[in-house]
Amino acid sequence: MNSIAKQYTQGNVNPVSREINDAMAELATPPQLGLAPTLQLPPISQPTDFLRAHTDDATNPDCKIKIAHGTTTLAFRFQGGIIVAVDSRATAGNWIASQTVNKVIRINPKLLGTMAGGAADCQYWETWLGSQCRLYELRNKERISVAAASKILSNLVYEYKGMGLSMGTMICGVTKKEGPTIFYVDSDGTRLKGDLFCVGSGQTFAYGVLDSDYKWDLTVEEALYLGKRSILAATHRDAYSGGSINLYHVSEEGWEYHGNYNVGDIFWDIKAKEHSFVNVET
Amino acid sequence: MPGLNFDNYQRNQYLASKGFSQAKATSTGTTIVGCKFQNGVVIAADTRATAGDIVADKNCEKLHRLAPRIWCAGAGTAADTEMVTQLIASNLELHSLYENRKPRVITAMTLLKQHLFKYQGHLGAYLIVAGTDPTGAHLTSVQAHGSTDVGEYLSLGSGSLAAMAVLETNWKPDMTREEAMQLCSDAILLGIWNDLGSGSNVDLCVMEIGKDANLYRNYMTPNVRIAKERSYKFARGTTAVLQTSVRDLLDVEETVIPFGQKDSDAMEIEA
Amino acid sequence: MSDPSSINGGAAVAMVGKDCVAIASDLRLGNQSLGVSNNFEKVFQFGDKTFLGLTGLASDVTTLSQVFRLKTNLYKLREERSIEPQTFANLVSSTLYEKRFGPYFIGPIVAGLDSKTDKPFICGFDLIGCIDFAKDFIVSGTASDQLYGMCESLYEPNLEPEDLFETISQALLNAVDRDALSGWGCVVYVITKDRVVKRVLRTRQD
Repeated sequence: MNSIAKQYTQGNVNPVSREINDAMAELATPPQLGLAPTLQLPPISQPTDFLRAHTDDATNPDCKIKIAHGTTTLAFRFQGGIIVAVDSRATAGNWIASQTVNKVIRINPKLLGTMAGGAADCQYWETWLGSQCRLYELRNKERISVAAASKILSNLVYEYKGMGLSMGTMICGVTKKEGPTIFYVDSDGTRLKGDLFCVGSGQTFAYGVLDSDYKWDLTVEEALYLGKRSILAATHRDAYSGGSINLYHVSEEGWEYHGNYNVGDIFWDIKAKEHSFVNVET
Repeated sequence: MPGLNFDNYQRNQYLASKGFSQAKATSTGTTIVGCKFQNGVVIAADTRATAGDIVADKNCEKLHRLAPRIWCAGAGTAADTEMVTQLIASNLELHSLYENRKPRVITAMTLLKQHLFKYQGHLGAYLIVAGTDPTGAHLTSVQAHGSTDVGEYLSLGSGSLAAMAVLETNWKPDMTREEAMQLCSDAILLGIWNDLGSGSNVDLCVMEIGKDANLYRNYMTPNVRIAKERSYKFARGTTAVLQTSVRDLLDVEETVIPFGQKDSDAMEIEA
Repeated sequence: MSDPSSINGGAAVAMVGKDCVAIASDLRLGNQSLGVSNNFEKVFQFGDKTFLGLTGLASDVTTLSQVFRLKTNLYKLREERSIEPQTFANLVSSTLYEKRFGPYFIGPIVAGLDSKTDKPFICGFDLIGCIDFAKDFIVSGTASDQLYGMCESLYEPNLEPEDLFETISQALLNAVDRDALSGWGCVVYVITKDRVVKRVLRTRQD
């Protein structure tokens, strides 16, 4: 008896009215201004373990998918603004996949992001960060602060924590209220403000040179050279860094590109000029 | 102590337990066949050696001589087939010298199976042993664990299925020497084309009763590399050199000067 | 990479020319990503015109080079002549196969000229001593895949010593530039009837 009653009381059984109701419901809920686009997950119980099993070559060297790793990037603040210097090598295992990777992402004319870890992760999410910053500008009629921009990224990666994102990045920029600012953001969710960072497999070598010659009062020219020299040291000792060096200077006017230097050439020039790298025979 | 040395075995087991993977040896992902005919036996092999997915040798020799008239084709771990074959060849010769008889196929096969059984399959040698001896022509196969087979026609290796397809289709009793050679090379060719682990050329060996064995090295070469259309020779001086050191090798000439002979005027003693 | 043969890195190659052979190796010794030494030669001389290239686990490279020094010295004392490349190849093969069930993690290559006929000889081995006789070139090491590619395209038969030097150098140089664990300098030996020329190449240092 009850089932017969149900059949007549519940009116939404016909497909046309259901479609209308669905459309109404869709309009009723406010459009999602989701911060993050959604990523599709593989239809298995533990997508994170699955990803790790197949891509993490540190724990499983035999994994078939080798995500590009290995980098040296650095950024430091000084009297004249910020210097950003990076290498350009991409490796998959021991295979050098490219010597001409662009590891600095120009988020907008005043903001730079560096790239270490998963190349695709960095490229995708920092480009995405660029559009978020532009949306912020349109909404607020004011440029986003470096602090806010870096926080958008760090909040985003935190949402994906433990799911296999791999990135170590420095968000560098200059704003009126902040001045030259560097934020280190990584895929663990760490977000740090600081004067000097080196990130990547060659970071220790870069720190070695950078720390010993770093002063706040460096001239722009000296600072650019120090950045270049630090990356050069890292490309020399670290097997997974190399190729060429990309140099940037960030000042009040925004960032300025200071060229690409092939390690194969400048190594011998700098060695001859400085009488350094004495371990290498001439 | 003669024989194998296990010094590094423990070290490598320890390394393996720490997650270090073992390096891969060259294996002959192979097609080998053998087939009897009216008056003898034929064996044949392809010539590709692989290390993983890399072709390590495009024209290797998989036909080994055990005795002048007993030959064998090897599949499996390349070093094992080579070394086991050489060892048994030596023992076979010593044995035939001691017995003062021509070596027999059955002896070669028994020596091989006893050796391989002793190593419980750890020596990855899969062999087709064939030849002629005073008892006639014989064709047998030996597996790595020590088991053996006797047959009118046999195939072994990763391309054995492709080869056996040909053998099963075209084999007939009492073939002529030419028919058997044709059948064997056809079987190897099918392995070369259809098995990724096999390739390059066909080696063939015919052993006819009462005659010397005939090895046809590169009996067929269906995979000759076409000539390069361009020379990639570099201009001299392209490569930057930091240091050059030259070591001249002098030819040493040896002249023997005889002395103390009768006609020489030196060392004369007054009588 | 926890494969013992790719902890230290390194590459070697040998080529046959017209009445000459060349053998070359890189100079890097590393500990995984860390470059440790840039003068770790992987080519050793064991006779007037007999050379051995050894890549793989550095400790095994050193150990084996010393083992072969001992064995070739004893050979010289017994035979009152230095070892031929062909003979040396068989010595290497037996020495490696002796350790069939506990191998050294190495990839040897042999190059040289026969002292009587001056005929070029090269060959390569797997880690348990299977000999790979080749008429053209032999490669080994962490950059072996790249070297196969370079040699297959650059190599041509009957090169004069000077041209062979350029070809083997460019093959090695460009191969190690695509391998993270090889490079840091290269050394090339060109062996002809009456002289051995050793050249150290100027290479990228990253």
